[in-house]
Amino acid sequence: MEQFESLLTCCVCLDRFRNPKLLPCQHSFCMEPCMDGLVDYVRRQVKCPECRAEHRIPYQGVQGFPTNVTLQRFLELHANIAGELPDPTAGQVMERCNVCSEKAYCAPCAHCDKKVCEDCKSAHMEVLRREIARINNQIRRGVNRIQDILAIVERNTSNLQTNCGAVAGEVDEIHKRLSKALKDRTDFLRNEIDRYLATELRNLTHLKDNLELELSNIQSNSDLADKYMNDDVEWEDTELVDTKEIFLKTVEFLRNFDYEAGDYNRRIRFIMTHDPNQLVMHVASYGELNITHPNAYSTGLQQNQGLTRSKSDHRLATQFRQQEEAKGWMENEEPILGGRKFGERRPPPPEKHTRDYGTDDYSGYESEHRPSRRFRSRFVRSHQQDNDSDTEVTTRATKTEQKEKEKEKVADTEDATRGPLSGIFRLSDCPRVMQRILDVESGKKKEKKEPPPPPKPVQPTPQRQRPPPPVRQQSEDDEITRLKRQNKGAASSQEPDRAPPRPVEEERNTTSRKPPTPAREASSDGESDDESVGSLQRNQRKNTAPVPKPTVTRRPSASETASAHRPAARAASTESSASTESSGSAVKHTGAILSIEELKAKYSTDEAKPKPRSRFLSAGNERPTPATTNGTAGGAQRVQSRFVGSQRPTPAPAPAEPAHEDSDTSSEEETDSSEESEEEPVTQRKPESQTMARTDIGPLLARSSNARSDAQDNKSKDKDAPAQSRYRTRPSSQPEEEPAPRYGASGSSYSSRYGNKPKDEELTSSLDDDTKYPTARSRYLALKERRNRLARSKSSHTGFGGGDDDEDEPVSPTTASPSAYLAARYGSGTGGSELSRSRSSHALKSRESSPERPVAGEKDGAALSSWARYLKSKYGSRGKERDPSGTSSSTARRLSLGLPLRSANELASSDDDSKNAAGSPISPTAATAAVAGFAAAGSSPRSQYLQKRRLQFSVGNRGSEPGCFTWPRGIAVGPDNIMVVADSSNHRVQVFDSNGIFVKEFGQYGSGEGEFDCLAGIAVNRIGQYIIADRYNHRIQVFDPAGRFLRAFGSQGTGDGKFNYPWGITTDALGFIYVCDKENHRVQVFQSDGTFVGKFGSFGSKLGQLEHPHYIAVSSTNRVLVSDSNNHRIQVFDVNGRVLSSFGEEGSEDGQFKFPRGVAVDDQGYIVVADSGNNRIQIFHPDGAFLRAFGSWGSGDGEFKGLEGIAVMSGGNIIVCDRENHRVQVF
Amino acid sequence: MAALPRRIIKETQRLMQEPVPGISAVPSENNARYFHVIVTGPEDSPFEGGLFKLELFLPEDYPMSAPKVRFITKIYHPNIDRLGRICLDILKDKWSPALQIRTVLLSIQALLSAPNPDDPLANDVAELWKVNESEAIRNAKEWTRRYAMDN
Repeated sequence: MEQFESLLTCCVCLDRFRNPKLLPCQHSFCMEPCMDGLVDYVRRQVKCPECRAEHRIPYQGVQGFPTNVTLQRFLELHANIAGELPDPTAGQVMERCNVCSEKAYCAPCAHCDKKVCEDCKSAHMEVLRREIARINNQIRRGVNRIQDILAIVERNTSNLQTNCGAVAGEVDEIHKRLSKALKDRTDFLRNEIDRYLATELRNLTHLKDNLELELSNIQSNSDLADKYMNDDVEWEDTELVDTKEIFLKTVEFLRNFDYEAGDYNRRIRFIMTHDPNQLVMHVASYGELNITHPNAYSTGLQQNQGLTRSKSDHRLATQFRQQEEAKGWMENEEPILGGRKFGERRPPPPEKHTRDYGTDDYSGYESEHRPSRRFRSRFVRSHQQDNDSDTEVTTRATKTEQKEKEKEKVADTEDATRGPLSGIFRLSDCPRVMQRILDVESGKKKEKKEPPPPPKPVQPTPQRQRPPPPVRQQSEDDEITRLKRQNKGAASSQEPDRAPPRPVEEERNTTSRKPPTPAREASSDGESDDESVGSLQRNQRKNTAPVPKPTVTRRPSASETASAHRPAARAASTESSASTESSGSAVKHTGAILSIEELKAKYSTDEAKPKPRSRFLSAGNERPTPATTNGTAGGAQRVQSRFVGSQRPTPAPAPAEPAHEDSDTSSEEETDSSEESEEEPVTQRKPESQTMARTDIGPLLARSSNARSDAQDNKSKDKDAPAQSRYRTRPSSQPEEEPAPRYGASGSSYSSRYGNKPKDEELTSSLDDDTKYPTARSRYLALKERRNRLARSKSSHTGFGGGDDDEDEPVSPTTASPSAYLAARYGSGTGGSELSRSRSSHALKSRESSPERPVAGEKDGAALSSWARYLKSKYGSRGKERDPSGTSSSTARRLSLGLPLRSANELASSDDDSKNAAGSPISPTAATAAVAGFAAAGSSPRSQYLQKRRLQFSVGNRGSEPGCFTWPRGIAVGPDNIMVVADSSNHRVQVFDSNGIFVKEFGQYGSGEGEFDCLAGIAVNRIGQYIIADRYNHRIQVFDPAGRFLRAFGSQGTGDGKFNYPWGITTDALGFIYVCDKENHRVQVFQSDGTFVGKFGSFGSKLGQLEHPHYIAVSSTNRVLVSDSNNHRIQVFDVNGRVLSSFGEEGSEDGQFKFPRGVAVDDQGYIVVADSGNNRIQIFHPDGAFLRAFGSWGSGDGEFKGLEGIAVMSGGNIIVCDRENHRVQVF
Repeated sequence: MAALPRRIIKETQRLMQEPVPGISAVPSENNARYFHVIVTGPEDSPFEGGLFKLELFLPEDYPMSAPKVRFITKIYHPNIDRLGRICLDILKDKWSPALQIRTVLLSIQALLSAPNPDDPLANDVAELWKVNESEAIRNAKEWTRRYAMDN
């Protein structure tokens, strides 16, 4: 058998024969690569390895030799007998490996994105494995940060709990005391009244009895006198005298007796020591909640912020990251693994060279840093999110509908377990990984893929518990829309619908995911009802909500800033669109860096589930997230319940009814009272009152909200919502609640009547008013009112509200239906507080955010690190750098960043070193030789630049074919050192690889999408997108790495975001886009989505002024260099547009310029300027000191005719557009 | 670094699994194309009892070109010079891809038992071998004892 085996083995490759070819000497060999390798091309012979016989090669090459069919049959037979698997490479054609150039069966390698042979691939995989292990170590080292944060969060949770508990207790205590005092006093007064009544009654009865007796006595006396005091009876004189005396006395008594009616006519009156309305006011707002520790969370975090970064960096980085992700969403681009499932092969590469940084590496690195950033941002987000809630629904809905189909596929387990903060999912949950591990364990297969690094699963655990994983929503978007549609019809339980997409969920997921579900049900409740009822319920919900947590809910205080608290507060506050809007505006301030859309997009990721309800409830509630992150089940439960509870009160429908009725009855009372008290047309008044109320509240709310919220909403809300919220949001029980409306109603019944009377009538009518007041209190009010009326002073209002600001129009508060008025007052109160709150939050936000943007140093950290990451992912594994200095500089940076040196990098550098020794361009002069020596020893870009003079190669000549140019202008270096050239008058972009080989082109003349009109500047951002200044179209266009149009922004003009011949363009590490707005003599800054961020520069020649700025570059330290062309200088700004320095003046000496154009900066900060008028390139130290110049006018090598854009490759090569020579030169 | 061709892997495996008697070839730890070879002196030859160290390097285009082999242990042999270079046709023009490491080493072993002074590399040795074979053999034994039996 063994011999048989050996017969089937090619003696050259020692493998089974593949396509055996029979030589004339009867020996057989595989056609490829064995026979191929035997060919002597010079003599066109092949020498048999076995017998050394030499044979002429047939005309068509070695495949012209006959195939050894017999052998092939044997091979098949053997395969059948032995049950061998068919040769996996059968039928494949050998290609040259793109890495080792060997001929082999090549397969695409995810690491380098090329088709490579098995061996190179395995080597690459080995590299990846090593990198993973290394990053894994970093992760392990970094995990404890998360753990610390977790601990802090836990501590904060308990602190929060105790704090809130204590405050709640306090409030309860006060409540108890107040109600006790009230009750005591009431009882006392009642008793007094009773006692008084009893005494008086007794006295009166007594008097009555006496009087009756008197009366009867006198009557009988009179009768007797009439009857018997005549002559019929014998009376003695004494008797008569006595009688007379008695009668005289009687007369006297009758005359004198005078019942002092006044004594008993008096009434008791109830007089309040304070104005009852004020008292009610005071009680109603008897306390405020003041959040003294606005940064409770962030401070906790700050302590733990990373070793190198400040929190703002995190913020920025996060934003950038999210922005990226969000964009990914919108444009179908890549989130963490480029949208792929784990282990899936990348979709057929749209374009080579564009995305070379190994994804795995990238994500791994991400995972190390991201959590904290996200974490930080979460708190910011919690309220930022509100703003998108209403608008977003629609946009997203349409979007999702379109994408419904594709997204369904994405719903998979790995998405389900995605860490909500970082987007990292648990590797062990991926089906592929599971499969691999299973394979390994059962020993069936050789482990091919790296087993998931253990720490990854460990790390994400704390975060993973949060319900809305960023990515999953994509899959659920459609689901949500579907749900919405369903909800429109009938509110049914969504549970079944939700279940299918993630059947594989583990416990923690299900638990964490529960909260949203009921929430959604609640929302569906609301939705199913018609609008008015819905709004009522909404209010009702709010009203009931506070009961469990009164302390948090009622908060007119302006100082509530802790974002985590805000949602709750807002939920309780009047459900006005204003509140959401105001938060929206707050967002605007915070996130000046991000547009609302972006935020939307970004947060949409987290929002899918909460979204439906966000329409009704202010979005703060959408984030049960903080709860779950706490990790502690208890804490989670608690916070959760608070949020959930507040937004979706279980007793919602039931109490809604009574509440509604309450408000109804109270309003009925009002109308009743006003009707009976006067004859004025009621109908007129009603609308008026409404409008008054509206105007009263509207502006405030509107102001607070910045907003143009729909008036409809406001109106209805003003009518009933404030009325209810006023009394009901108080954490009071039913009985206590009642007095309030009663007061309101009765007290104001007068006022409303009064208010509507013509002023002339008032005096007369006021006289009989007294009789109409049924109670003493109302009389008191009446008196007061009368006084006020007479005085025409504002005190009438103060009687109600104490210091109202619309005194000038006395009608307004009074015409309003009383409760509405009170409500309005109160509403305006809330409005005001809302306003102030939002203002304060703005202030806070701006305070919060301001340090992040302007402080360049901090940003530098982020920029540097992300840049480093970029570098690492780009070069670390490729080893493309040509120059030892390049590698050493990157290693230096790595060192400075505190990152461990990468083995791969070392490998690369060693490789490079050897290459370099052979091929470095050492020029014969002693000076350069010395320099070269220096470079070898120390290596600085300085020396590297000093030896720059010789043209390495040039690309192109005049023409419109690929690889030719017509006035090339902008140039940029993309990932993998591709050269991107704005071929201006050919209206296209051309892409070349680092060796100047044409790769692709895109664009054509026109003004449509993806069309250009004499494009000028070009930039490639960190994710390989092309950003192009479309000069004569006065806009910026963005293309994806494959050259597909993504978006355009800007138009001709001088306003923000408008351009006048935009020229140079660049982008920084965070993706901000800097545009030289040439004819507007300024630089504009945009977010990567095109949102205007800022501008600087104005026409002039003073420092900070610009005249025809042409090109722009941003250093890794975030210094913005602008070629101020007509001022013949380079100006250096910081990212906020403050001038840092400026160098150069007109001239042709070293360091002088004539219309400098292109400017570039390398990663060490060395500045390269295309000194167009002098036809030379000048190189400057980072501080602007002249280093070197080379080049002259002409069309030879190293000569220029009009320079345009310039760029520096990562290896230090300078590429420049030689405009009139229509070429690109590389130095 | 390009990875190892399958053929080298196969050969190495086979060398490990079925070693040739009297020959051991172990790839270097840091370079799989570099082998540490030990060849025992063949019986009935002046080199009997000696353990001869060699180094063997498989060039980039192996098996299309011959491996490079060199004696490290000093040896008194007409076809092996003082630097250990070997004069053997299959290592030169007679190389065939069908040959393998084991066959090469076997050939070298055979060369030890059958010196070919007519195609010399070390001329003085070859001369002596031709002129006074017994003395040459004695020298060879002496060298073998001195250099190849130390350890």
